[in-house]
Amino acid sequence: MMDKYTRLQVVGIYAAIFVFLLFMLLPFIEMFMTSLRPLSHLFRSPYTFWGSDFTFEAYSKMWTTVPLLGRYIVNSVYIAGMVTAITMVLVVPAAYAYARLDFPFKSASLSVFLGVNMFTGAVLLIPLYRVLRTLGLLNTYWAMIVPGVAFLIPTGIWLLRSYLEKIPRELEEAAYVDGASRIYTLRRVVLPLAVPGLIVVGVSVFIGAYAQQFLFAITFNQERAYQPLPAGLFEFIGYQSVNWNEMMAAALVGVLPVMVIFLFLQKYLVAGLTAGAVKE
Amino acid sequence: MATLDLQNISKSFGAAKVLQDISLAIQDKELVVFVGPSGCGKSTLLRIIAGLEEATTGQIVIDGADVSGAHPVDRGISMVFQSYALYPHLSVFENIAFPLRVQKMADAEMRKRVATAAEILQLTDKLPLKPGQLSGGQRQRVAIGRSIVRNPKVFLFDEPLSNLDAALRGDMRVELSQLHRELSATMVYVTHDQVEAMTMADRIVVLNKGKVEQFGPPMELYHHPATKFVAQFIGQPNMNLLSGTVKGVGPEGLAVEVTGGTVMTLPVEAGGTRAGDKVDVGIRPEDIGLGAGLRMNVNVLERLGGQSITYGLLADGARFCATLDGDAAVREGEAIDLTVDPADCHVFNANGDVLRRLKAPELTR
Ligand SMILES: Nc1ncnc2c1ncn2[C@@H]1O[C@H](COP(=O)(O)OP(=O)(O)OP(=O)(O)O)[C@@H](O)[C@H]1O
Ligand SMILES: [Mg+2]
Repeated sequence: MMDKYTRLQVVGIYAAIFVFLLFMLLPFIEMFMTSLRPLSHLFRSPYTFWGSDFTFEAYSKMWTTVPLLGRYIVNSVYIAGMVTAITMVLVVPAAYAYARLDFPFKSASLSVFLGVNMFTGAVLLIPLYRVLRTLGLLNTYWAMIVPGVAFLIPTGIWLLRSYLEKIPRELEEAAYVDGASRIYTLRRVVLPLAVPGLIVVGVSVFIGAYAQQFLFAITFNQERAYQPLPAGLFEFIGYQSVNWNEMMAAALVGVLPVMVIFLFLQKYLVAGLTAGAVKE
Repeated sequence: MATLDLQNISKSFGAAKVLQDISLAIQDKELVVFVGPSGCGKSTLLRIIAGLEEATTGQIVIDGADVSGAHPVDRGISMVFQSYALYPHLSVFENIAFPLRVQKMADAEMRKRVATAAEILQLTDKLPLKPGQLSGGQRQRVAIGRSIVRNPKVFLFDEPLSNLDAALRGDMRVELSQLHRELSATMVYVTHDQVEAMTMADRIVVLNKGKVEQFGPPMELYHHPATKFVAQFIGQPNMNLLSGTVKGVGPEGLAVEVTGGTVMTLPVEAGGTRAGDKVDVGIRPEDIGLGAGLRMNVNVLERLGGQSITYGLLADGARFCATLDGDAAVREGEAIDLTVDPADCHVFNANGDVLRRLKAPELTR
């Protein structure tokens, strides 16, 4: 009864979703298939989807081909995690200020943030390199964390600000009338109510940090022990051959911990924590 | 002991003058209701008293001390918001205890205070629940509970009942009046519902376009509305207004010719009114009875049981309303003759100011 769609429309919608998902997931499927193939099969023509000699061998061999692989995965998560943590610490008060306080150049500075966001890190690599060299941060974890934080703050502020603006102002006024300071109100009223928003922003910052670390890693860091996974994958490219199957296996394994975290967080994103705050 | 004086309060938002020169002296233990149409500045005035908004000019004086720049807590006020403003992630207990936690009150004392408040408001068994699990009336009580634990000098309410349905609103109205008596506290209550204003208030402030139209006890506003605006705002259904012309001024009052050429002698103070002036004659629907006088074509008849409310048009096309007996022999589409005692009529001059009635009933309390 509640179905707004006819059977034909439902079929259409599912077909569209299927095509869309196919586009998104096909590379991953191909990655997975590649990781199972022996190297000798990789360039065989005609293309065969499945072969009898497919094995999971690459998943064990990759650890010996690139001995630091485990370290790279940990580095990746560490760098993205640090970037997320620092970004959130900076973004929360900033977004709150943009959502609630009045100060000169408020909307102008917000626009500037959005403008900065339009530059990709690539344009600013050389100036950034000089800044990091001056600060003595090249070839440390900070070389990848600091620019990551800088580039993610604007998005974080924009996302979180719009979330905080939806929290009823009267809740804060009530707290103010009852004698609570701004910080106390932020801690006891605003942030608990903003948890779903904080998670959304945290997740998108983490994904952003994960994606952009490659660029910063290959330009600002030569220290092998600090390299994140995307840069570490280069080591599968040998002098004579590229171990494509092991590289794909490593990439999949590297993404795995992140996927697990997100699946776990998903249930928090759905929960509506603001129910009952004010009468709608 | 808490008196609240507003002295020449004005407020502008940019170019918009929202409140203009408001002065009110509210006495200890008084329940004063601000009424007025939407946008007249009721909430703004309340927020200025609370300290959530700063007046452009003027002072707020509580118990003789100028608190204009003070924090709400230092003013000794507490406020109940229209939307309840409960913290959805905290239990009822924590919601009520919030102001005490802010003060870092000792645990035992805090528990005692919350328990007392919960008992007054019949919330004792609801303390562990979250606001989302409560009904509208219970949520409203939690909001009130949060405002009473702090023992403030002055309670402020901004349309606390407007989100409740009619029946619950009636109940809560009685509960709030009772609470006022129990706490014997000074309260300021904002509403746009004139029934709430009439039933709860010791004195009513009628606001219109940021100005005080009248400040007085409910029955005084009813019998002696100072302006046409107050006359039409207080009373249900609204007062009828007939335009008339003054024919003569005498010791008995004004001789006024109203619609259809009828001349009535209305016992009011003439003031500066002279023959030939235009006036408005106000007649409350409930002061009207059947009998020779005004002829009205009944368009709509509402039988409420105890009363029948008739709406129609007079001979000259003016809209008119009369409240008759429940069983009055009236039918939609028919004409009826109506009469009114001249002593019950209100007369307003061209500025909308009242000419004081000479034979109005004594005010009772
Ligand atoms: N922060 C503000 N900035 C600009 N104008 C405002 C602001 N707050 C209120 N106003 C204006 O002040 C006027 C009075 O508003 P207020 O909220 O006091 O009305 P009200 O009498 O409480 O109305 P209602 O019965 O609808 O609640 C309105 O015209 C409103 O537009
Ligand atoms: Mg209001």
